[in-house]
Amino acid sequence: MNRILIVDDSFYMRTMLKNMLTDAGYEVVGEAPNGQTALELAKETKPDLITLDVILPDNTGLDVLKGIKSEQPDMKIVIVSAVGQEVIVNEALDHGALAYIVKPFSEEKVLEVVSKALSA
Amino acid sequence: MKSREQEYKEIFIAEALEYYDALNRHISDLEKRPQDDQVLAEIFRLLHNLKANAKAIGYLHISDLSHKLETAFSLIRNKELSFSDEVVAVLFDGIDLLGDLITNIDNDSYGEPDPVLLRNLDIIVDNLSGSTIELAKVQRYNTSKNLSLSDLIYIQIKKLDHMLNLVGELMIDRDRVLSISRELDNDELKSVSSHLYRITEELQYSVMDARLVSIGSLFNKFPRIIRDIATAEGKTINLSLIGQEIQIDRNILQIITDSLLHLVRNAITHGIERPEEREKKGKSREGHVSLVARNDRDNVVIKLSDDGKGIDFKQVRKAAVEQKLVASDVAAGLSNSDLLGFLFEPGFSLAKEVTEFSGRGVGLDVVKNAIDSIGGRINIDSEKGKGTSFTMQLPTSIAVKGALLFEVADIFYAIPLIHTESVVAMETDELHEVGDVLLADVKGETITVVYLNELLNAPEETMRLGDKTKLSGLIQNIIIVSYNNRKLGLIVDKMYRQQDIVVKPLSKPLDTIDLYGGVTLLGTGKVCLVLDVPAITRYFIHRR
Repeated sequence: MNRILIVDDSFYMRTMLKNMLTDAGYEVVGEAPNGQTALELAKETKPDLITLDVILPDNTGLDVLKGIKSEQPDMKIVIVSAVGQEVIVNEALDHGALAYIVKPFSEEKVLEVVSKALSA
Repeated sequence: MKSREQEYKEIFIAEALEYYDALNRHISDLEKRPQDDQVLAEIFRLLHNLKANAKAIGYLHISDLSHKLETAFSLIRNKELSFSDEVVAVLFDGIDLLGDLITNIDNDSYGEPDPVLLRNLDIIVDNLSGSTIELAKVQRYNTSKNLSLSDLIYIQIKKLDHMLNLVGELMIDRDRVLSISRELDNDELKSVSSHLYRITEELQYSVMDARLVSIGSLFNKFPRIIRDIATAEGKTINLSLIGQEIQIDRNILQIITDSLLHLVRNAITHGIERPEEREKKGKSREGHVSLVARNDRDNVVIKLSDDGKGIDFKQVRKAAVEQKLVASDVAAGLSNSDLLGFLFEPGFSLAKEVTEFSGRGVGLDVVKNAIDSIGGRINIDSEKGKGTSFTMQLPTSIAVKGALLFEVADIFYAIPLIHTESVVAMETDELHEVGDVLLADVKGETITVVYLNELLNAPEETMRLGDKTKLSGLIQNIIIVSYNNRKLGLIVDKMYRQQDIVVKPLSKPLDTIDLYGGVTLLGTGKVCLVLDVPAITRYFIHRR
């Protein structure tokens, strides 16, 4: 069973993602509402994949991405972002994010991107 | 049971209202400091989330309005739009309208958002405010509002307590009816009773659900309290709160409030060092305290951690001997986790000085008792120089507990699952008579094992707990329970199953027997006694 860490500052978004992923048989090993917790949980839980929102209260998602990649270069990261953040999303892809999902997302889209990223 | 859609909607509304409150706070700040980038970034983030969430759930008025406001604020952030009086008025109106839309989500007669206001927003978003086009003079938005009654009601907790008690009674009768219908083998009765079973279960969950509050209602009081204590102690503390949205029974939260406050005070006064001292040790001047809540199966776990000086085990050992809790030769052989158990003994104290906030003679035993009373557990972890953490494992609900059912001398007993560690079967030969108890090696750990029949049924003067001849059979079923870092094996005659039980207090004169925590009725109508694991563990500590 693949283990996933969810990073998003909205409880609503985290709940939706968690339900979608758990229903599909993934294990959600943690939920981080901010960058600090995201960095700690990434280190602590060593997930197979991280879903990362790019706008977070403390750091921007980009700093979190770089932070995780500097310690765990092989970590699979999928960006979850609303429209209007294309600049950040592109930069995230340049810094090693594997793919992105645009909010609002459908369950099919999330599962498709996650499973592709995991087998990448 | 709530549908997932309903749950999503409730979460959406609760979070949206939180964002709305925060937006109001931040925009007032922004009026005072128009160029504060941090405030602007925060407003932007809140609107951004609101937009995405509203779009996901399908409240398009809210997502459109959030989008317009988000655009306006990003223009301000990029200095393309000035935060002038007219603009401020429109933005305030826009945020008021957001609040209205959120609170009227379920109100079908609410109608469309005010078009004049939306037009005003479009004007500033299109960056035309600098030109001569005037912002339409709308009547101040919130003066034209209709009156509406809230969909939320307040209810006295004692009314909910009463409902929960009634549900408990109902569950007992329900199990009884179900069992009778099986005995009689009457199909009609069976179908009615299985329907009754489902309805009662749903009722039980709705009542339990109605009593849930978010842990944030307690956690959010701590920033202020910690600031006050820290200031009085001349310390700087950085507090992080995680898991405010986790839900728990209101009475359980009430019962642990004082305990948590006590632990937080301790952490700041005795745990966190003064800034100079921390600096000498190579730590940051600022001390860190965190409160984290999370769900763990059916329980809620609250963890309080500090990065202070930690517990000095040598000092605990010395104090335990001085306070005559243990003989000095025994103390020398105790492990750190054994020593931590002493911190919960009545009257045990390491505090040398009494300050305004701690050391008033209230010890950790009071905290422990509060947590025992609701059937929870508490553990300490500590490393000298690094810090201390307390982990509280709490049930989500008071009335109904998962329990393990078993039989001793033809009588049914139950032990709440929160105290059971494991169940093992052992050959009688593997139990060793040592002094007046039996010992066994369970997965590399030496554990005191008690034959429950002897403990519960033999008269005190002839009770012989260290006598193997009292046991029958070659194989013994043992339930390993744990309390306060101490494990105990309980030998039972027959193991049954796990079941949710409603624990009732014992009535007189049985309430003086302290090995029982309560009683429950099984579906068969048989009485089942609930063992009090903390009391049994204490009984053995005092014998020793």
